[in-house]
Amino acid sequence: MKSKSIHGASAPEIKEALHRAMDDGFRPTVAIIFSSVQQDRDAICMLFRTHTIDVFGATSCGEFIDGTQTKGAIAILLLEIPKEQYTILLQPIENATIETGASGLAKQALNAFANPSLIVCCTGMDKNGAFFNGDELVTHLEQQLGPEKLFFGGLAGDDWNLQATYVFSSESETDRGVIALVLNGDLVELKGMAITGFKPMGIVRTVTKSKGNLLYEIDGKSAVEMYLKYLGRADLEDKSGYDLLTELSFEYPFIVERPGNETILKSPMKIDQDENALFIDMEMTVGTRFWFTKPPEFEIVEEILEKADGTKSTKDEQADALLIFSCAGRYPILGPLITEENDGLAKLWKAPMAGFYTYGEIGRSLGGKQNFHGGACCWVALKEK
Amino acid sequence: MNKHLQDIFDFIQEEVTLSEEKKATIINELKAADKALTISEFKLERTEKVKRTTAILLEETIEELEQKRKSIEETNQALQASLEELKAAQAQLIQAEKMASLGELTAGIAHEIQNPLNFVNNFSEVSKELLDELKEEIDNNDYEEVRAIANDVISNLEKINHHGKRADGIVKGMLQHSRKSEGEKELTDINALVDEYLRLAYHGLRAKDKSFNASLETQYDESVGKIHLVPQDIGRVVLNLITNAFYACTQKSRLSPGEAYQPTVMVKTKKENQKMEIRVKDNGSGIPKEVFDKIFQPFFTTKPTGQGTGLGLSLSYDIVKAHGGELRVFTELEKGTEFVISLPITS
Repeated sequence: MKSKSIHGASAPEIKEALHRAMDDGFRPTVAIIFSSVQQDRDAICMLFRTHTIDVFGATSCGEFIDGTQTKGAIAILLLEIPKEQYTILLQPIENATIETGASGLAKQALNAFANPSLIVCCTGMDKNGAFFNGDELVTHLEQQLGPEKLFFGGLAGDDWNLQATYVFSSESETDRGVIALVLNGDLVELKGMAITGFKPMGIVRTVTKSKGNLLYEIDGKSAVEMYLKYLGRADLEDKSGYDLLTELSFEYPFIVERPGNETILKSPMKIDQDENALFIDMEMTVGTRFWFTKPPEFEIVEEILEKADGTKSTKDEQADALLIFSCAGRYPILGPLITEENDGLAKLWKAPMAGFYTYGEIGRSLGGKQNFHGGACCWVALKEK
Repeated sequence: MNKHLQDIFDFIQEEVTLSEEKKATIINELKAADKALTISEFKLERTEKVKRTTAILLEETIEELEQKRKSIEETNQALQASLEELKAAQAQLIQAEKMASLGELTAGIAHEIQNPLNFVNNFSEVSKELLDELKEEIDNNDYEEVRAIANDVISNLEKINHHGKRADGIVKGMLQHSRKSEGEKELTDINALVDEYLRLAYHGLRAKDKSFNASLETQYDESVGKIHLVPQDIGRVVLNLITNAFYACTQKSRLSPGEAYQPTVMVKTKKENQKMEIRVKDNGSGIPKEVFDKIFQPFFTTKPTGQGTGLGLSLSYDIVKAHGGELRVFTELEKGTEFVISLPITS
């Protein structure tokens, strides 16, 4: 498998970059596109259609290739891979249940290949402002595909507008659905990992009152008051105008316990003044145990690279291509270090890389099962066997 | 780019004496320095922010834990108070059990006191008659007879005194039984203690139920002698076991009327090495399996409501344990039950 990564601030720039990439006889069959919602997706898709290149696309919250990181632009990983080794499935879910969507997608994937491996992107938020339940998608996909099947990916973003996100193929797109690049797992190997670096701080807490995404009480006390007080904003008067996500939640999400000794980060997105509750990106049911967190240390970059290096079969092993799905919250937390993380992984795998900042990540933590994550750096290396 | 680095950058760009190759090298170094500086500034700023927030979070957590500690302390105090109340209630229950067993003894005690009282009455009446005779002999100036009568009166008074003391002993014993135990051990004649309670229990039951009849068999080992124990406590245990044994026999008699059944209660004492045993055996119906495991539980009773507190065996068990001994039970259905009190002989 050959691959190249290209980048551009507009469809014409992408056209130019694509032509340059193909100058040496490189003939990609798949374009994995991470594009800002501001960009003209139709024009981009048209460009690839004319070159008979299949599109796997997701809108982003910042996008990057090796050496270049932007917000509002387009990052693309081009793969030259035989048509018989992959298929791209776009599964709009619209008004159906996530279970139905996951089931339909899994069936098609299993029909395509006996041992499918998937790159999966789903929408992060639909036009109505409803968050997509990535956890549910992963649960059903795993059930349908089988626990040993690998899939990595992320939830599409929209430059933090929180209005609508999209996944798209050459022909169509959806604001509530999933797109999958289904690979023949017998011919293409996936290696990947999801890691956050957040550490629990203080004592274990328990949700004592919640409803849907609204978190009312923690240990019998007001969740809003506790969250603000414990993070030094007890003095806050204008709660409605306060940008909770940017000011606090990026750096101080909750670490929530889940089965199999694993955890997941869940973030308060805003304060619901009418309900006096925290609006959490994912449901936290009554009885859920969790901790306040300490953001990743600066050494997280080294840790991620070290653990990635540990997955290599041989010291000199390299990948054909690399994809990174990094939580949109990591960018403000790690600042300039985030490029060290992303570029470091590309350098480690000695492979062209593209990635985007997501509203949720899909992958496996080290030694863990297939799971949905928040706040994680989730990378996946592709290599033809 | 950092302003100072930018100045250097601009200067290098304009410098004509440097080769393009050298310029490129220096510019790359400048860019690397700028990147390192940016990262350092970011780290500094974030460290400050995280340090501040972390400190607040930890302070609040510590304060919360302190409040929880206080709350736990208060709960502990409340629990301690409840425990004290519970202990007081238990003490009351134990006293109630004592009074209940005293009730069992009353009829026996009355019977026991009746004997010395009869002696006192009889001998005092005889003495009165003797004194009347004495006066007559004085009038007759028969001083030899007077002396003889006087000696008889003295002998009678000694007997009255003896039986008076006997009655006094019984009453004192009863009071001791009902009094709160101070837990002080005293050297006690085991056989005498066991025999006294056996008789009291038997006569007590006979007084309450004229139809009650049982054979009493005793085997007292004289070598048991005296040992240190709290007499009223061990007395209560013995009384409880004997009363239970009589009850078991009575129940069996009632359940199988007309059959050739001779209710028998056997009480034995025995010295064995550094231990002594008091065995109370009946030939009642035995204890059913489903009941056996519960007999030492407080408030467990098979007697009809109001006839047993359910504390007898539980307290007996505790008393024997407090003496460093053991209370064991052996039972066989339709054959009977034997309770064995085993006490260490200490100096």
